[in-house]
Amino acid sequence: MPYIELNVLNNTLPEPAVGIDLGTTNSLAAVWREGRPIVLAPEGRSGLVPSVVYVPSEGTPVVGREARDQAVVDPRHTVFSIKRFMGRGLADVQSELAARPYRATESQRGLVQLELRGRKYTPQELSALILMKVRDVACAALGGQTVSRAVITVPAYFDDAQRQATRDAARLAGLDVLRIINEPTAASLAYGLDQRDKGHVAVFDLGGGTFDISVLAIEDGVFRVLSTNGDTHLGGDDFDERLAELARREIGSVAGARVLEEPGFQQAVRLAAEKCKIELSTQPESEMHLVVPELRLNWRRRVTREEFDALCADLIGRTLDCCRRALSDAKLKPAQIDEVVLVGGSTRVPAVRARVEAWFGRRPHTELNPDEVVALGAAVQAHILTGGKRDMLLMDVTPLSLGVETMGGAVDKVIQRNTTIPCSATAGYTTYADNQTGLDFNIVQGERELAKDCRSLGRFQLKGVPPMPAGLARIAVRFHIDADGVLMVTAKEESTGETAQIEVQPMHGLTDAEVEGMLKSGFAHARDDFHARRVADLKIEIGTMVRATEKNLHAAHGGLDRETFLDLEESLARAKAATQKDDLDALQKARDEFERATLPLAALLMNNVAQKALMGKKLGDV
Amino acid sequence: MRCPHCQAELETPLACAGCGDALAVPAEASPFEILALPLGYSIDRAELKKRLSRFGRLVHPDFFATRSPEALERAEFASARLNAAHATLADDAARAEWLVRYLGGPDAESERELPRAFLIEVLEWNEELEQLAAGANAPGAAARLDALASNLAARRAENLAAIQRLLVPLPARGSPALSRVRQELNALRYLDRALDELEALRSGNPARR
Repeated sequence: MPYIELNVLNNTLPEPAVGIDLGTTNSLAAVWREGRPIVLAPEGRSGLVPSVVYVPSEGTPVVGREARDQAVVDPRHTVFSIKRFMGRGLADVQSELAARPYRATESQRGLVQLELRGRKYTPQELSALILMKVRDVACAALGGQTVSRAVITVPAYFDDAQRQATRDAARLAGLDVLRIINEPTAASLAYGLDQRDKGHVAVFDLGGGTFDISVLAIEDGVFRVLSTNGDTHLGGDDFDERLAELARREIGSVAGARVLEEPGFQQAVRLAAEKCKIELSTQPESEMHLVVPELRLNWRRRVTREEFDALCADLIGRTLDCCRRALSDAKLKPAQIDEVVLVGGSTRVPAVRARVEAWFGRRPHTELNPDEVVALGAAVQAHILTGGKRDMLLMDVTPLSLGVETMGGAVDKVIQRNTTIPCSATAGYTTYADNQTGLDFNIVQGERELAKDCRSLGRFQLKGVPPMPAGLARIAVRFHIDADGVLMVTAKEESTGETAQIEVQPMHGLTDAEVEGMLKSGFAHARDDFHARRVADLKIEIGTMVRATEKNLHAAHGGLDRETFLDLEESLARAKAATQKDDLDALQKARDEFERATLPLAALLMNNVAQKALMGKKLGDV
Repeated sequence: MRCPHCQAELETPLACAGCGDALAVPAEASPFEILALPLGYSIDRAELKKRLSRFGRLVHPDFFATRSPEALERAEFASARLNAAHATLADDAARAEWLVRYLGGPDAESERELPRAFLIEVLEWNEELEQLAAGANAPGAAARLDALASNLAARRAENLAAIQRLLVPLPARGSPALSRVRQELNALRYLDRALDELEALRSGNPARR
């Protein structure tokens, strides 16, 4: 029986539930419209929001394109790839932090905090800022409709702490999370929507910071995940890093080690490496070009695709190791996989495609846009969850085994990896002292034999066991992994039937009280302050345009007719003046006018580039 | 079995197709009852798959997201029962394990024997495994790994065939055949562990992640 939600009072469509791909590099929202999922993008613009946060000296943090533009200008206050910190402790992210120019500390309970302009931000808060921006973009694309319900995707290989952190980020962003779903599974929904054939499908998802492989059986609208595997610290960032290492090595030997420490250099090298990698996906060779005026650095290096492939060969090898384990768990051979679907921007790297094709012995699907397919799938799931669609059924698995630490430090597994969720398991415990009323245990996730080698989800404290002689209490603890892949624990003393209370002390997570506290402490203010944020965004955007214009003013003077040049100078001055005040309308007007006035300059510069290219000069020399 | 709400005859204790509600599933409901399949070792896999998707559509939490928290919670637990029942029935060893226990046969603690012919083979395999573990990168090791893996897999198929012979038709409660099924299951456990070790050696990571 299909459910149709209709507001009977004013006969309008209900508020839409969106799907959000909260990515390491980019984030995106999609929604179900007229029988299919569509990406939410404001007219004429991309809906892709770079997952970057910039904290300005005053005003609210800035997210997205405008934030990314600050990377080289103000690297100490620009945060990239925050997803890599979600649900992690300081010790887990040491290598990650080495290349970042900001200070990180750890909260009392082992939560990473980044220090920006004297304020400490948890990864949850920074992710919440990204989610708010995505929501604003979605809201604009929907013509101002409010967006408050969402399905959010996470890497399939995320553990419980990472899933919880994502859920907390969404709560901080004021979103009601309908479901956390796995990225490759979401992709399979978007893929399977148009593919009527049944069979075994492998989804190879190499994103900016994470890698997942999921093997599914699709039949009659049932999407059943058979196994999943992956690496939450392997992605496009690591490919960039290989090129960045090369640059640092060669520049360090010429310009000295001091240069390498400069934050401006670190961000510039990251961006140059990323640009080079992207070019190598379409060209047989490219050039890494680094200009840092403050350091008087102008460095070039030709990189061929072969050289790049060799630098990254082991990274791709690691993805294939995960594929082998996933297939082994699904009890399938590569030849039994009917379709291979590529997801994630990093699958654009030709060497990745070639080796995936060789390993599976079949050409992978590349017709789906790897940047959009996860958000589209999440929108399908959002549609199902709001009662819209019942002919599709998604059955996912838990990626990691769940266990309890025993007295000897070993792991007693209660739920095996790749068990279909929801799933429950019950384990029995007893007391070891007379009149003991509480029990303390450590729940871990992972495949290793010893608890210390697995990831602790936290200490669980069982209270309220009725007092009785040692060994008589029969405490049944039920572990339930819900459809979000998140653990719930309940306990009961069976001889008396009393329900024991469970207190959870999450590792690297936020307690409910902390989330509430953050929501109250001004985080909520920022959330609804559209106006202030728009003002901040515009100031940053105008700032970027001002710098670009001033840099090319001499060219404009020589190349533009007098009237056009004066017009440009005037609107430049007006734009600069507008940024001195917080008047949204004035800023908007100044920006639009400024953009119009810079068009002739942009055309002129393009022309110069084209002419120089014709004279045999390379693009990078202009 | 009748629905506690509308008294309709239930096909499965998971849910009532009549009132569209997920039910509180009794702890003692067997995987066969849950999937509405006849008790026995032989299983109709196509039918099992069909029921998983049909009953899954009745109780999956996805379809209860707009319902009351109580209904959603019942759906969560009913789904967990469905998934567990399916996992037991879909896997030959798990199904045999469940039947041995159900028929009052010995558990792995009280019957630790392996089938006699199997013991000699185990000694040989162990020796080969140890040698491979010591020199997984030696020349020819990969071929030996593959050879051992296919030996073990072939033996696994034989064990399963033996279990099939012992459990079809289903022996009586407490029958001595159940001890022999337990021995075959012990052998399967050994084989699965050895195959896991081989897989770990192949990934060059004996600790498995």
